[in-house]
Amino acid sequence: MPDSAVLIPRWCLRETTMTISISGIGWINTEGFGRLKSSKEYKYRSGENIQQLPKHEIFSHPFKNFGRMDTISRVTACAAALALKDAGVEASQENKTDTAIIGTSSEGSLRSDLDYFQDYVQGGRTLSRANLFIYTLPSSPLGEAAIHLGCTGPLLFVSEQKSVFPKMIDMAEEMLLYGEADAVLVGRAEQDAGMYMVLKKSDRAGETFCTLEETRSILSTEADVNFLIHKFTLLRNRKVGS
Amino acid sequence: MRAFVVAADIITPYGTGVDSCWNGLIANKTAIQTVTRFDTRAFQSPYAGIVSGLTYRQGASLVMQMLTILFQRAANVVPRDAKFLLATTKGEIDYLETYILEHRGDPAESIPLRLLKKVAGLSGIDDEGVIISSACTSSSAAVARAAAMIRSGSTDCALVAACDSVTEFIYSGFSSLMALDSVPARPFDKNRAGLNVGEAAGIALLMSEERARREERPVLGEIAGWGLSDDANHMTGPCRRSEGLVLAINKAFVSAKITSDDIGFIGAHGTGTGYNDEMELRGFRKVFGNRELPVYSIKGGIGHTMGAAGLVETIIALRALREKTAPPTVNLQTPDDNARGWVSNSPQRFGSGTKALVTNAGFSGVNTALVLA
Repeated sequence: MPDSAVLIPRWCLRETTMTISISGIGWINTEGFGRLKSSKEYKYRSGENIQQLPKHEIFSHPFKNFGRMDTISRVTACAAALALKDAGVEASQENKTDTAIIGTSSEGSLRSDLDYFQDYVQGGRTLSRANLFIYTLPSSPLGEAAIHLGCTGPLLFVSEQKSVFPKMIDMAEEMLLYGEADAVLVGRAEQDAGMYMVLKKSDRAGETFCTLEETRSILSTEADVNFLIHKFTLLRNRKVGS
Repeated sequence: MRAFVVAADIITPYGTGVDSCWNGLIANKTAIQTVTRFDTRAFQSPYAGIVSGLTYRQGASLVMQMLTILFQRAANVVPRDAKFLLATTKGEIDYLETYILEHRGDPAESIPLRLLKKVAGLSGIDDEGVIISSACTSSSAAVARAAAMIRSGSTDCALVAACDSVTEFIYSGFSSLMALDSVPARPFDKNRAGLNVGEAAGIALLMSEERARREERPVLGEIAGWGLSDDANHMTGPCRRSEGLVLAINKAFVSAKITSDDIGFIGAHGTGTGYNDEMELRGFRKVFGNRELPVYSIKGGIGHTMGAAGLVETIIALRALREKTAPPTVNLQTPDDNARGWVSNSPQRFGSGTKALVTNAGFSGVNTALVLA
């Protein structure tokens, strides 16, 4: 029997009463990394930094090829893993989830493009290295995160002139509304910092870190990633204090 | 709300316009040729799908040259209030090549955002636009997002543009992956040995049913459903069990509220690599069972146009729907055993099923499936 019949009853086309909210946020920068809803923060110890990470503190299982990846891919994978953990989503190759990833970065793959083509030219323009070439797509960091975290939903790199977060949130909302994914990771990664958040349909008390309205309000003032981490931390502290 | 395609245009190695591409495919002629733009002697193959008349590393980038022609032809077609989505993988990467090889210019000129600003200006629309990049599914993903925006009511008009070009950067990269065929690509052929890269640009204007009717726009077809997925398996190799593609197709069927019986033909990704074509055929068998229906790939005609592939293939599939004919798979000689009864090197009329399925896949394990009506 064709497989197509199997999945059809799974989704409703539009659930107008559905509430979408942020169920977890993960971040990483040059000082450390953390999970906002869980109020977990790790400051780098001696010898540790964004290049030399205590991976066991971030990932729940060994990350094959982590050292091979470019910096944006590492930052993306770390922030995404921390966000999923913060949201209580078990994410791994063995436990794949229909989670989408929508991400951005200010320069796309520029640094990896330069690394790849300079290496090729220095080699006499005859041979190039496939392991550098695969990071020359803006979406490659999202792909590495999807592979390690078992995310089988849509995967999009998105960029625009002004703050792209509101557009990414809109896309995530549409994906959840139309049953295109069960959860959506939305975030931004740079060479020195990254932040990802998990959007989900919320149906249980305590699942939500903040509402879409609160998120849109913070993201409309987007500056850099560290500024956003600071704003979300303030929001968390306000909620804990209230 | 339903999302209709009301205008579309492409530049491919066959020439400018949908007709030139369609006629070339129907005639079972390839537009793939030897590359003279740069030295290919060190690479696996001298072949690519090249658009003639473009200048390389002089003045405007290759993709801007193609898009400029398309937007000149689209003058007065695109409304100023359209939302704008631009799909590409490497955009103006020729600027980065020039910087490294000739020490001229600024490599940051190759960042997709810079291209977005230029193309938004070309288009004449007010929206600053958004870049959508998802490897070789970039433009089919952009079509899906545009349709989702119309379905949700956040806009009633969206313009999707897509582009990618054949450059030394891209060519050397695919060669390093051992992905190139030394002869013009033979998708779904028993003796296929890889892909040829190709270049193309396309634009498609999507409108809500209500606005298309109000403005009396000609309707080329409908984006009836879409599904996007990721294998979560490997950066460059497709999933051996095809579950990512099957997931995308099933999502598209749900989105379009149809079953596999409604599909009349499949415009496949069909790159010509052993792994991709095998993965797709296995996926199609899982979805369609023993039912045989026309499957084709246009990449033997124009090469793999990367970020532009999904949009070009969507536009060709809309034409195929209108003509009630699936084009031949150009360069096909001996169908792969798993493709027998599905692919042909002649045009195929399709019987049952009134809708088209267009599939794409790419690095990072991304998959898209669009249902067209």
